[in-house]
Amino acid sequence: MSYKNIKTTISILSVVILLCSCDHGISPKPASQEVTGFSGRITFVGTWPDSIKRTHIVVFKDPLLDSKDFNLLNIKFISREIPFGTAVYYYSSKDSSVIPGTEAFTPGEYAYVAVAQQASDELLLVRSAWFVAGVYYTPGDRSQPGKLIIPEDTFVRNIDIVCDFNNPPPQPPGGN
Amino acid sequence: MKIIYYIFFSLTLVCVIRAQSYSIYGTVTDTIGKPIANVNIVVIGTGFGASSNEKGEYFILDLSPGVYELEFSAVGYKKFKSDSIKIKDRSINVDVIMRQKAIESEEVVITAGKYEQKKSELPVSSEIIPGAEFIEYNYRNLADALRYVPGVNMTEDQISIRGSSGYSRGAGSRALLAIDGLTFYTGDTGETVWEMIPVTELRRVEIIKGAASSLYGSSAIGGVINGITRRISEKSLTMLNAFYGFYDRPYYPEWDWSGERRPFNGITLSHSNTLGKFGFNLSFTRLEDLSYRRDDFYKKYIGFLKAVYNFSSTSSIALLADTFNKRAGNFLYWKDSRNALVPPDVDNNGRIETNRYLFGIIYKNVLSDKYFLNIKTSYYRNNFKDNGTPLNESTSHLYRGEIQLNAGLTEQIVLTTGVEGNTSVVKSNLFGNPNSFGAGVYAVADINLDFPLIISVGIRYDYSKLDSLKGSGAVSPKIGLNYKLNDNLIFRSSLGTGFRAPTLAEAFTSTSSGGITVKPNPDIKSESNTTFEVGVNYIPFNFINLDFAVFRNEYYNMIEPGIDLSDGLAVFDNVLRARIQGLEANVSASVIPRTLDLALNYTYMWARDVEKNVALKYRPRHLFYSSLNFNKWNLHFGIEFRFWSKVEKIDDELVDLGIVVDGEKRVPVYVTDLNFGYSLYSIGMPVNVYLNVKNLFNYNYVELIGNLREIRSFTLGLNLAI
Repeated sequence: MSYKNIKTTISILSVVILLCSCDHGISPKPASQEVTGFSGRITFVGTWPDSIKRTHIVVFKDPLLDSKDFNLLNIKFISREIPFGTAVYYYSSKDSSVIPGTEAFTPGEYAYVAVAQQASDELLLVRSAWFVAGVYYTPGDRSQPGKLIIPEDTFVRNIDIVCDFNNPPPQPPGGN
Repeated sequence: MKIIYYIFFSLTLVCVIRAQSYSIYGTVTDTIGKPIANVNIVVIGTGFGASSNEKGEYFILDLSPGVYELEFSAVGYKKFKSDSIKIKDRSINVDVIMRQKAIESEEVVITAGKYEQKKSELPVSSEIIPGAEFIEYNYRNLADALRYVPGVNMTEDQISIRGSSGYSRGAGSRALLAIDGLTFYTGDTGETVWEMIPVTELRRVEIIKGAASSLYGSSAIGGVINGITRRISEKSLTMLNAFYGFYDRPYYPEWDWSGERRPFNGITLSHSNTLGKFGFNLSFTRLEDLSYRRDDFYKKYIGFLKAVYNFSSTSSIALLADTFNKRAGNFLYWKDSRNALVPPDVDNNGRIETNRYLFGIIYKNVLSDKYFLNIKTSYYRNNFKDNGTPLNESTSHLYRGEIQLNAGLTEQIVLTTGVEGNTSVVKSNLFGNPNSFGAGVYAVADINLDFPLIISVGIRYDYSKLDSLKGSGAVSPKIGLNYKLNDNLIFRSSLGTGFRAPTLAEAFTSTSSGGITVKPNPDIKSESNTTFEVGVNYIPFNFINLDFAVFRNEYYNMIEPGIDLSDGLAVFDNVLRARIQGLEANVSASVIPRTLDLALNYTYMWARDVEKNVALKYRPRHLFYSSLNFNKWNLHFGIEFRFWSKVEKIDDELVDLGIVVDGEKRVPVYVTDLNFGYSLYSIGMPVNVYLNVKNLFNYNYVELIGNLREIRSFTLGLNLAI
């Protein structure tokens, strides 16, 4: 083997290395076209009050700092009814709902997620008609209601809420 | 001393000037800045010459004006020839850096056979990693360097020599690591902990391929990694090695979980000195890496002491102490391929802490010109715990002792005999609280028939007992031949057997981690193998070294981890009757003498379960390594390329059971590294600086299912010797 052959070997090797390395190896699988939304589990602790007629999961875009914040423009989700007396209830925004009425949910940040109950047979969209039985908290932080953050093309899971009838959460302004 | 030297040198200069003659003077160091003593310096074509002193300093006096060339030579280093040096009207300073030999096999000495032998006289294939490479290439861990050894591949931190091992998450090893003859494996898992070896303290690392059980017993069934620590300096020598680097952003934006370039750094401070009959190397290393993966960071602290007391010129006692502490994240598998650098949500915030200590004493005594006694004893404490649920914690105490006697029976026969024993005590919630005991006795004779032919014959008996399991014994014979047809052509061949007792971890593990539950196997037995190799080394020209070998290993009762499909639990079992065979071809060439070196290595491996006719897990069929190194003008530039073909089989069960999402994703490995180094000795500063780019093309690959290897990183380092 002469020097010329060695140098030829080096040149060929360099080209092979460059060609092989153009590919970047393992790549992420394409994103699944997942419906944007959220799901979770509602756990009820204690005995359901007999007065309850309706129970829903509700989601508000902005925080409920004032009774005026409880308005139709701010309400982004009202689930279908949760049956009376349920101990554990699994829900998904993909399920049929009162609001928005479509399977897909708009991505974004939502300030207040709660389980709200009414004592009336009809669905009333006034603050005074509602009682909050449970609020979603970010795991490990119960100092304030947790935000629901839904990125694009992402289905967020584990938005769990505990409703303790013996120890109800702080009520937003404007209630009875 | 330096002042005296300069006064002396100034006086010398005065004398020289008066005589109208001049000098060439300077310092000779190795690539990490350590002075080299006893370098022979010759002024080519003249009768002038000199030898370097303990500080590497030399001076050649009484030279008339003219043009000269110098040649530097020293044992263990490549010859260095200077450029033309013109002396006109003043003396000239020429500082030189010499590189350790790696490819010139004739003079390289191997001690993995438990006494010093020339590499060219061994009956088996072997490799050398010069110690300087650890710093030049910024290998932070011995395992990083082993990834570039021909015939060796790594699956994360588990070594496989010629396909000997797959991956068993640290339980058991088929290659034995020894440092200065002391074996480094833990008493519970039997694993080799590469990261506790301070690489800056290594002078060289030898790799013996193929079963070495006839000398080393269990765990050497696939080969031996033998580390030799640095010599103790005769004068005070302090060295500082430091580096800082960062990982580049991941190639795919989906993987950029942190939004930043993640840094890493390390520092080693070492001191060496000899005080009369006492000498020592002492070092402290701190390594920190925030990692390119979440929950994969670490902080490591390594303390190392080698202290030697020479009773006389023929006997000495040495203390070796190695302490290691690590606090790290516990990354097991990726979440999925779109989240390849973060663990699954349920494994978030995994942490692990390890504390390991090894203390060893080595007593050496040259009893006569024919007998050499070597007594070694060591204690290895291994403790680790994680924050899993349930919490895993294990502490083991391993005690070892060995008495070895080398006898030069005649001028042609060297007999190496020895007896050793070990016992391990374990307290663990993974393995229970088992104990183990092992003992071995061995004898190997190397018969040198005036070299062209060397015959090596050996046998070893081992007995092993794991707690309540039935004890078992094994006899491991071997025979090796080395035939030197002429100075340029050497044939070698070996046939031997090996065995490996299961470790306590393989027999008794009972735990859950990362969604995998492991159950114990009280019926597990020892595994054994027969290994055969034939090879040839040929030097057709003085600038080319060719080496070729064919090997075949038959494994019986091979222990491998797997999933018991009846209950979905992981278990270690004697499941395989395996065959691993292949060939290895190496070419080393000096393209431009003493300036540009090229190395090409190819290994073909056929590794299969011969009963089920399926490939063994985590064994690539093709391995290819190449390196090109340029050294001149105090400058080093190197490029290394590594190719492993896509492994045929992995832990498919983990994918099928949904434990590792997208775990089937794997590709061939193409990794290119760049290394730059420059010595500032020429301008009077005892400093070398290094720049390393690893994984230059940011190629994404896995060695282990669901574990993306290091993405591109940049490192700047320096080495200072005072």
